[in-house]
Amino acid sequence: MELTIDQRWDLVERISKETVEVGVYEPSLKDALADVTVRPATGIPFAIAVIYGFWAFFCEFAGTLFTDGFFCKIFDGHWLPWLQGVFAGTPAWVFNIFVGDPLADNCFEAFGVLSSGIFLAIGVVLPAIVAFYLIFAILEDVGYMPRLAVLVDTLLHKIGLHGYAIVPTILSLGCNVPGVTAVRPLETRKQRFLAIVLLSVFVPCGAQIGIMEGMIPGLIGWVFLALVIGYFGVGWVINKIVPGESPEILMDVPPYQMPTARNIWAKLWTRTSKFLTVAVPFVLLGCVIVAVLYITGAMDAIASGLSPVITGVFGLPQDTAAAMIAGFLRKDLAVGTIGMLAAGGMTITVFQVFTAVVLLSIYFPCLATFALMIKELNWKETLGALATLIVMVFVYGAILHLIGLSGIGSSVWVPLE
Amino acid sequence: MRKVLLMGQANVGKSVLFNRLAGAHVTESNYSGTTVDFAKGRMRLDHEDVEIIDVPGTFSLEPKDRAEEVAASMLKEEKGALVVCVIDSSKIERGLYLTLEVIEKGYPVVIALNMWDVAKGGNIKVDAKKLEQILGVPVVPTVATRGEGLKELALRMKNAVPADVEKIMKNVGVKSGTHN
Amino acid sequence: MEKKLSQMKYEEKGRIKKIDKSLRAQVAGMGIREGKDVEMMTRQPIKGPVVVNVDRSNTSIGLGLADKIIVEVER
Repeated sequence: MELTIDQRWDLVERISKETVEVGVYEPSLKDALADVTVRPATGIPFAIAVIYGFWAFFCEFAGTLFTDGFFCKIFDGHWLPWLQGVFAGTPAWVFNIFVGDPLADNCFEAFGVLSSGIFLAIGVVLPAIVAFYLIFAILEDVGYMPRLAVLVDTLLHKIGLHGYAIVPTILSLGCNVPGVTAVRPLETRKQRFLAIVLLSVFVPCGAQIGIMEGMIPGLIGWVFLALVIGYFGVGWVINKIVPGESPEILMDVPPYQMPTARNIWAKLWTRTSKFLTVAVPFVLLGCVIVAVLYITGAMDAIASGLSPVITGVFGLPQDTAAAMIAGFLRKDLAVGTIGMLAAGGMTITVFQVFTAVVLLSIYFPCLATFALMIKELNWKETLGALATLIVMVFVYGAILHLIGLSGIGSSVWVPLE
Repeated sequence: MRKVLLMGQANVGKSVLFNRLAGAHVTESNYSGTTVDFAKGRMRLDHEDVEIIDVPGTFSLEPKDRAEEVAASMLKEEKGALVVCVIDSSKIERGLYLTLEVIEKGYPVVIALNMWDVAKGGNIKVDAKKLEQILGVPVVPTVATRGEGLKELALRMKNAVPADVEKIMKNVGVKSGTHN
Repeated sequence: MEKKLSQMKYEEKGRIKKIDKSLRAQVAGMGIREGKDVEMMTRQPIKGPVVVNVDRSNTSIGLGLADKIIVEVER
């Protein structure tokens, strides 16, 4: 027997009248905090403080403590010399693919599968991902996310999303793959399409951020600015041209609760292990492909073939084509490639580095994300997403090129040691 | 293999309960054709291995988003499943609403009155025994975060039976057969 | 006095009188229904959503949806 909504509620009320006794409720500190963090006057400054704290922890923990303080020493001091010793007698091409440049004294510049590839995946990206998901899991477990969603709903609703889209967006800052998965609480196809396109294009992943943090700490703020402008600008345009509805937010805002270690650990473990199985093979594969393209000379052919676009439209050095190709597989690898190229003698200005990094972020989602996009979107939407991408990359690249012509950041970029 | 579905609204501690019950053999799966993930595991029930599934949180069986759609259709597909309805004890009414929807569809149900400690702290007293009498299905208070009440919950799952809506209505004084 | 939920002021209390048909099934599972007491918890600026409290649960509702709920407020 099925009831109507009213009949069911009538029944629920009768049952609860007989079984539930509701006493006086005394608001606790928790409730006061709940209030303060969702009210705009106090909640917005609080949100900014939370995000800043998040960022500071991320850089400190992932960048300084683990990558620089721990992994660099291990990889450069022990792993690379050991590899060079083991592969010493092998043919040049084997050495090139697996260990890379025989003269390199650090894993960042060597550019071999087992040197740079493993170093990027384990030494740079893994700490970034762990740091990121740790804080995210805590914020989630405490119950902060819905409040952040309420605060940003005003803004996100203007581009056809609703506040909840902040969760997949932030999640994507760790890795776009779980980000795309997390769009499910958005209600309509249009909203999911919009969210997937925006986050896979404009949200750099933790791996990429980790590399940028190490390589171009001075430019990272500008890169973020360019991406945020793109997120909202392109979102606004897509919202105008894609048919479909954008329903408003309707969301439970649960009370705060004490986070439990068990919960946080479970979330951290699932996400991190998923990341490792998805990302690491792609990083290694990317290194192999780039190395093979170099060795066979195919890279030069591709670079000169693409040069009208890369040099003509984007105003970048022709050799950055290598980075663009790596970027199909992994964004972290691609950004790293620019550093390696510059360390290897390519002349590139500060503004060109900025342009290249921004374009690398947006020109194509990494392969793993793209595979997931196809799964979630139908072919029409996928084609739409690709068309959006192509148009956008050219427009964005050309605009950045024009800005660059004004002469800002025209000094030659020197990679950090 | 028999299946046990954990159903409940968002933020009622359903996943914590699931992780406690399913122990070590948890795998994440993907609901076919979607990006909605759900967790699956194994547990012992009445000398038998059963599959336990953490259904995505939903407020009702009338879905308003993709995850809720999946929740509703997972229930529909598992006709013979036993359903554990997880309720936030401090928000009984909302939980009972979803539970009744499940009961109406004829599934054998066990109710976990979770977050029992939160209800206590909020000065809410729930008479679990009486609730059990009225509904005619096992009702077990639990605190999943501390593992309290889970043994009893697992023990009483085998007593799960489909409940009779008309009987429930009679138990609280609604004349059966009346329409609105 | 009757007004729309969207017009309630910060910390104002009232009782839900009527919910538009298009919205009823959607909010039913969240415990929002006719006859329930409701309090306005926050209003976000520039036509942002509101957060209301019903039965000790907070729910965030977009302004356009809140337009479809009529509330009887205390004077």
